[in-house]
Amino acid sequence: MDLLLQLMMNGLVNGSHYALLGIGFGLIFATTKLVHFAYGPIYAATAYVCWYSFMQLGLPFWAAFGLCVIAAIVLGLLSYLIVYRPLQSRSDSGLVTLIASLGLYTVIENLLGVIFGTGVKSVQGIDSDVFFLGPVFVTSFQLMQIAALILVGGALALFLRFTRYGQAIMAMTDNAEMAQIVGIDTRFVALLVFAIGSAIAAVPAVLILLKDSAGTHMGFSAVFLAFLSVVVGGIGSLRGAVAGGFLIGFVESAGLWQISTDWQSSIAFIILFLMLMLRPDGLFGVKR
Amino acid sequence: MSDFAIEARGLSAGYAGKTVVHSVDLKLKTGEILLMVGHNGAGKTTSVRAICGLLPVTGGSVHKGARDITNATPASNVGAGLAFVPQGHGVFGSLTVMQNIVLGAFVERDAAKQEERIETVFELFPILKERQKQIAGTMSGGQQQMLAIGMAMMHGPDVLILDEPSIGLAPKFVERVMQSITAINARFGTSILMVEQNLKYAIPVAQRAVVMKTGSIIFDGDPNELTDKVKLMELF
Repeated sequence: MDLLLQLMMNGLVNGSHYALLGIGFGLIFATTKLVHFAYGPIYAATAYVCWYSFMQLGLPFWAAFGLCVIAAIVLGLLSYLIVYRPLQSRSDSGLVTLIASLGLYTVIENLLGVIFGTGVKSVQGIDSDVFFLGPVFVTSFQLMQIAALILVGGALALFLRFTRYGQAIMAMTDNAEMAQIVGIDTRFVALLVFAIGSAIAAVPAVLILLKDSAGTHMGFSAVFLAFLSVVVGGIGSLRGAVAGGFLIGFVESAGLWQISTDWQSSIAFIILFLMLMLRPDGLFGVKR
Repeated sequence: MSDFAIEARGLSAGYAGKTVVHSVDLKLKTGEILLMVGHNGAGKTTSVRAICGLLPVTGGSVHKGARDITNATPASNVGAGLAFVPQGHGVFGSLTVMQNIVLGAFVERDAAKQEERIETVFELFPILKERQKQIAGTMSGGQQQMLAIGMAMMHGPDVLILDEPSIGLAPKFVERVMQSITAINARFGTSILMVEQNLKYAIPVAQRAVVMKTGSIIFDGDPNELTDKVKLMELF
C-alpha cells in the first residue's frame, strides 16, 4: 500500500510535468494547427541556457531563469517566422510544415551539441529538500513541479478567459478564418502563441535541469509526452492537456506497480492507442 | 463621398493559380441592397471573398468608397467598416453566444460603443439575448445565422457582404433572416451585397441584382426581371 501511495505521488509529479509541457505545446498546436516538434529541442535549449548562465557565467539563478525564458521566446518566434510562416503562405499542406518541424528539431538538437557539447549538464549548489507525508516522500523540486503547473496553468486560463488577446486565441483555435473575418490579426496571434507556448517550455525544462540534468536528447521525450497529453486530453482544450498529462502520469506510475520499468515508455503509447480507438476527440476535445 | 460603397474594377481572383473570376466590374451603390445570383461555380463566393481580403486579388482593383482596399488584409477591411458573413454558419461553435458577439466587436476598443451595439444586436435578434450563455454550435442553423449577422453588426460596418445567408435554413428562418437584412439596411443605411440562390426570398429584399456566369457578370438590373422564368433560364 505504501508503494502504491508513493507511485501515486510520483504520478502526480510526473503528470504535472507532462501537463505543463502539454499546455505549452497544445497552445501552439491548437491555435496555429502546426505540429511543432521542434518544441522538444527548444525545451532542451532553454535548460542549456539556464545551465550556462548559472554555472558558467555565474549569474544569479533567477537571472539565469529569466534569460532562458527569453531564449525560449526568441527560438519559438524564429521558428515561426523563418520556417513555418513562409511555408504556410506557400502551401496549405500540413505535411510540409510537419516535415519542416522535424528538420528544425534535428538542426536545433545538433546545434546544442556543437555549442555546449554532448555531455550531460547538471546544476550544483542548489539542493533539494525531502519532505515526508506519512509513508510518502516528496522533494522540494517535485513540489515545485506541481506548483509550476498550478501557477502557469492558472495564469494561462485567466489570460485566455479575461483578456482581449486571450479571446482572440480562443477564437483562432475554434475557427481561424472566422477569426480573420471578425478582424483578428491571425498572424500576430500566431506569434503570440509561439511566444507564450515557448516561454512555458522554459519552466519544466529548468525544473528538470534542477531535479535531474540536461542532455541534448531530452527534447524527444518532452515533445512526445506533450503531444500525447494534448491528443489524449483533446486538442484545443487547456483542461484537456492537463487531464491528459495527469492520466499519462498516473497510469505510467500505476503500471510500474506490477510491470517492469522497461515498459514505462510503452504505457504512454498504449494509453494513446486506447484513446484513439475509444474516444478520438480526446477527454475534453471539441467535436469538429 | 463616393456613390459606390464598393467598386471592383476588372477583378480577377481564384484558387491555387487557377483564375475563377475574370475581370469582373462590380459596383455596390451606397445604401442599396444588391443581390448577386448565379449557378454553382459561377464565381460568386470567389468574388466576395477576394473583395473582403480572404483570397488574393490577381487582377484589377477593389475600392471601398475612395479607399483602395485591393489585397488589404481582412482585419484591415473590418477596421475600415467592411463586414462579411461567410457561407454556412459563420460563428465560433465552441464559444458561447455572448463570447461570439463580443468577438464580433474585436476591432472596436470603445466599451460604451460595444455595449450599445450589443443592445442593438439583441433588439434585432431577441433570441440571442435569451441564449447568450448557450454554446453557439449547439443552436439551430437559423439561430446560428442570426448570430453570424449579429456578430457582423458588432463593429458598426457601413458595408455588409453576406454569402448565401439562407443556405440550409428552414423557410421560417429564411424569412426571418431576410427581414433582418431589410431592417439593417433601413435602420443603419448599411450597403448590403448578398450572394443568394434562394430567389423566392431574396428578390423582394433586393433593390438591384447581378447575375454571374462562369466568372463574369452577364446581367445587371432590376431584380424583379429575374422572376421571369424564361429570362432566368436564358441567363443560367
